[in-house]
Amino acid sequence: MSSSTIYSLHYFNGRGRAEATRLIFAQAGQKFEDLRHTQDEWAKLKGQMPLGQIPVLEFDGEKLPQSLAIARYAARKTKLAGKDDLESAKCDVIVDTMQEVNEAYYHAWFHIKDAQQKETEQTKFKSDTLPQKLTGLETLMNKFGNGTWAVGDNVTWADLLVFDSIQNVLKIDDQALEKHATLKKNHEAVKKLPNIAAYLANRKETAF
Amino acid sequence: MPSYKLYYFNVRSRAEVSRLIFAAAGEKYEDVRYEQDEWPAHKDEMPLGQIPVLEVDGVKLPQSRTIARYLAKQFHLAGKDNFEQAKVDAVVDTIYDLLNAFATPFFEKDEAKKEELTKKFLSEELPKHLQNFETLGKLYGNGGHFFVDNQLTWADLLFYNYIQSFMEFKADCLNNFPWLQQNRAEVEKQPKIAEYLKNRPNLQF
Repeated sequence: MSSSTIYSLHYFNGRGRAEATRLIFAQAGQKFEDLRHTQDEWAKLKGQMPLGQIPVLEFDGEKLPQSLAIARYAARKTKLAGKDDLESAKCDVIVDTMQEVNEAYYHAWFHIKDAQQKETEQTKFKSDTLPQKLTGLETLMNKFGNGTWAVGDNVTWADLLVFDSIQNVLKIDDQALEKHATLKKNHEAVKKLPNIAAYLANRKETAF
Repeated sequence: MPSYKLYYFNVRSRAEVSRLIFAAAGEKYEDVRYEQDEWPAHKDEMPLGQIPVLEVDGVKLPQSRTIARYLAKQFHLAGKDNFEQAKVDAVVDTIYDLLNAFATPFFEKDEAKKEELTKKFLSEELPKHLQNFETLGKLYGNGGHFFVDNQLTWADLLFYNYIQSFMEFKADCLNNFPWLQQNRAEVEKQPKIAEYLKNRPNLQF
């Protein structure tokens, strides 16, 4: 990434849909403005964002919405998207599969208002969706990776996004990785990356 | 030249954007369409037990969005640099947000409730999503009628396919969105796309 361009990541004060990009920047040692807006600040800014949503990555007078588009852009810029198009596609397969878990999690924990429906969806997530998708991710990592990294022989943004998502999963079921040797090894490997370890050591706990 | 094989059912849905990409690029591929009763025998051959899957030189890639992005990149329909590709991705993700929002009424099992939710969605929610697409098209389209930089990309093809399905539900849904109408017209006019649309099976969704 250019050293003169300033990258500003707009989001709330939480991990949510921005943390994958923060992890990518951390791993790459890329400076960026980590803007965490309060609800009041956001109310004033909303009209300036293309879809009235955040995260948005702002740079060179441009605004890019959509968390995965942002993360993939950052990953490609910092060479964390695999060594060629096929590896990039394998990263995307893993990201898409993990994101299915994330969307189901957001839906069941944050979007549903009706208490009965919420309980039904959360139960379904824990008994069906999560086990099925984790098995799928284990299969994909075994096919695409080297036993440690999700794709190929090096860390990619797939490892970082999965790491962030699994942190939510472990809050729901702290034994979730026990049946999945590769996912567990991958999780430990990301934690040990020097730049990630340093980032996590300094990261403040947030509500989401 | 790599060999491509696309596995799906005999519907448009999640594979059609990739078929449109192949058509727009004039590239050959094996278009495998399983009947419902054929599929169970093949399920375990697929990495996630799901289709669509793209097989490229023996490697099987699931996830329809990834398949389309990969193919578009190979055939120069993904945006010319990283930032353009990101803008294309942003439009694509916004289209999938619409599809995910429509899932609630679409998969409602109670018939009466489904009709009510669908009607409400089409009249109240859909226009908000369509407005977002017009916003992005005007922001990124560089004055033209394609979503990004006045060039055909897979974002236009994805939009074309899924809005066709919404128009089955509500034929006039683009009436207040001239830019979007023009965008679809531009896609249909591309000679290779026009040829493909003329010859493809007539499938409702």
